[in-house]
Amino acid sequence: MDAAPATTIARLHALLAKDFELEPAALRPETRLEDLDIDSLRMIEILFSVEDEFGITVPAEQAELRDRVKTVGDLAAYVDTLVAEQHGAGKEG
Amino acid sequence: MRRVAVTGMGVISPLGNDKRAFAASLAAGRPGIARLAGKFHERLASPVGATVAFDGEKHFPAPQLRMLDRVSQFALAAASQAVAEAGAVFEGLERARAGVFVGTGMGGAQTADDGYYTLYAEGSDRVKPFSVILAMNNAAAAWIGIEHGFSGPNLTYSTACSSSAVAIGEAARRIASGETDVMIAGGAEAPLNFGTLKAWDALRTLASVDPGDASASCKPFDRKRSGLVLGEGAAMLVLEDWERAMARGASVLAEVAGYGLCTDATHITRPSVGGQAEAMRRALDAAAMDAGAIGYINAHGTGTQANDAVETAAIKQVFGAAAPRIPVSSTKSMHGHLLGAAGALEFAAVILALRGGVLPPTINLRDPDPECDLDYVPLVARAGVQIDAAMSNSFAFGGTNAVLIARRPR
Repeated sequence: MDAAPATTIARLHALLAKDFELEPAALRPETRLEDLDIDSLRMIEILFSVEDEFGITVPAEQAELRDRVKTVGDLAAYVDTLVAEQHGAGKEG
Repeated sequence: MRRVAVTGMGVISPLGNDKRAFAASLAAGRPGIARLAGKFHERLASPVGATVAFDGEKHFPAPQLRMLDRVSQFALAAASQAVAEAGAVFEGLERARAGVFVGTGMGGAQTADDGYYTLYAEGSDRVKPFSVILAMNNAAAAWIGIEHGFSGPNLTYSTACSSSAVAIGEAARRIASGETDVMIAGGAEAPLNFGTLKAWDALRTLASVDPGDASASCKPFDRKRSGLVLGEGAAMLVLEDWERAMARGASVLAEVAGYGLCTDATHITRPSVGGQAEAMRRALDAAAMDAGAIGYINAHGTGTQANDAVETAAIKQVFGAAAPRIPVSSTKSMHGHLLGAAGALEFAAVILALRGGVLPPTINLRDPDPECDLDYVPLVARAGVQIDAAMSNSFAFGGTNAVLIARRPR
């Protein structure tokens, strides 16, 4: 888990900047998603792209997601958790 | 009852993507029909259609575009044109007294087709995240309401080929009754995906491709007519309370003078002379016009064996001895059959004919069917014709007959 977050954040930055026209400068780990105008609908679309990018399946429970993912950093950490769960440590998809 | 003015018009069509280009193509008798090129289209019995040259990326930012099926893109673009032409329509407007009525037969058909392809052909377990929002039938109307902040009634009419004539007629009624002051009304359709085309193929109602010239495949009223050609696009109007339009000094394109609606209630596809005639009579009654006041009829004129003969008989029944003197044309010969958007696009053509004095032709009509013996303005447009009122016919599978009458502003 040590080095992975930076990589994950970088990949998220690229994805958010490219597909969602978000300014990379605004995408700091502490940036709150709601401050990026990412509402529940936009979040669904982002998760779809995240699934493609990281080769994972994001579970469907929206409530858990809402509690757990409030910032860009939260999203990166959540992705790392799912990658670890679904691909096993060191076998990132 | 209040009078209803048309104060704006927007067109996205196989004949051009604004009303000027559309009018120019109609006047030139220019076909928008061509052989379809697509991944699967050679598997169609009749790979011909009337497509719109439209690049969504030029109209919408990428994040919004991903939420818009092609049908909603057309609808929004046409509505924006109409609103722009209507000028200061928003000034002093109570948004709760402004609404949006859109007709569409198949809604987000492209999205549905894409989703099925992903699931069944590609074997994926995921479809696009916004598939529901893209495909839902009321998406086009909803987006227009959001774009312009109209918080009055927002309704989607789906009566197949008369959908948008119904939408315009019903919108005019809301204004006439005093319930609303301004409406955006029209239709949109984007049915040229493989699955939808195959479904129409299966019904054996599509025209066979003309071997010499694919653009001439739709031949309404001709002895050699072999069916309809599907088209895509949208047409939207801004309708406004007449007094309000006058008070703000708006330029009025036409008056929605009459709307006639009835249902065959006999057969799911077969047209009926009685039903079509009744809808025309009701429109004339609503306009308080004699049949003699109509200077041009834009026919439903699909180019199917059944429609063109039945519609001709219905026109004769309503207009009697005057029928042979009234120019009747099918602009579907050029722009194809836009299904749920057909009524709106053809009502736009009627308004342009009223204003420009140019009656659009029925192209490809070289050998009239003996059963079709009216003046169909064959092959070339007729210019310099002053008319005060004109009719647009829309007759649908399911039996919903809708007729609109436009009158020159006075």
